[in-house]
Amino acid sequence: MTEKPTCSCGQNEKKRFIIPCAGQANTGQITNSAAIQLTEEGFGKTICVALLATGNEGLVEKLKTAEEVVVLDGCKMKCAAKIAEGHGITPTQNLVMTDLGFVKGPSRSYTDDDVEKVAAACWMGRGRESEPEEEKGNCSGSCGCGGSCD
Amino acid sequence: MTKIEVLGTGCTKCKRLFANTEQAVKELNITVELVKIEKLDLIAERGVMMTPALIINNEIVAEGRVADVKEIKALLTE
Repeated sequence: MTEKPTCSCGQNEKKRFIIPCAGQANTGQITNSAAIQLTEEGFGKTICVALLATGNEGLVEKLKTAEEVVVLDGCKMKCAAKIAEGHGITPTQNLVMTDLGFVKGPSRSYTDDDVEKVAAACWMGRGRESEPEEEKGNCSGSCGCGGSCD
Repeated sequence: MTKIEVLGTGCTKCKRLFANTEQAVKELNITVELVKIEKLDLIAERGVMMTPALIINNEIVAEGRVADVKEIKALLTE
């Protein structure tokens, strides 16, 4: 869904911030596109994970006082969640793209439907209620397998 | 039968709320009467000042925001 809000509804919407990991793989790039779409839809505001990693005091304070912090990670490395937690910020939702069924690499391509799937999952609150997924292997996913190899 | 009304003029947030409601009903595997109300006069008639809104059995349970699936499921099982 790429259409923008056409009305001023949603006045009671929670004050949310979205932190995409924006990693180099397709799964990381999907988080970035989804965060932008979610911002356009009025779900929340996208935060630069690189700025957060520097420990920018103003940004950290803003995130600590937010009603919700939604972290979008590409893979099981959960870099964005670790960066947030490293600065004392507890994510309200943490969605991991590989848990949503996306395979990390080798292709960097993704579609609008992929982005829509992530946006819908955020609106549904999937990162809030997800249970830890059954481990597929011992790999953290950093090799690009998505966590499926041994 | 539970009656659910999703009120909104048809923008993105209204569509998201409707989709979340459909998903909640599906996950609960219950039979409900689910209707979408988009006309402003009908929305105002129900006392809703901010959209999107969710009405369950004639009671406004969420107004001016998109309730997520977990919340809607909780509201439906109360």
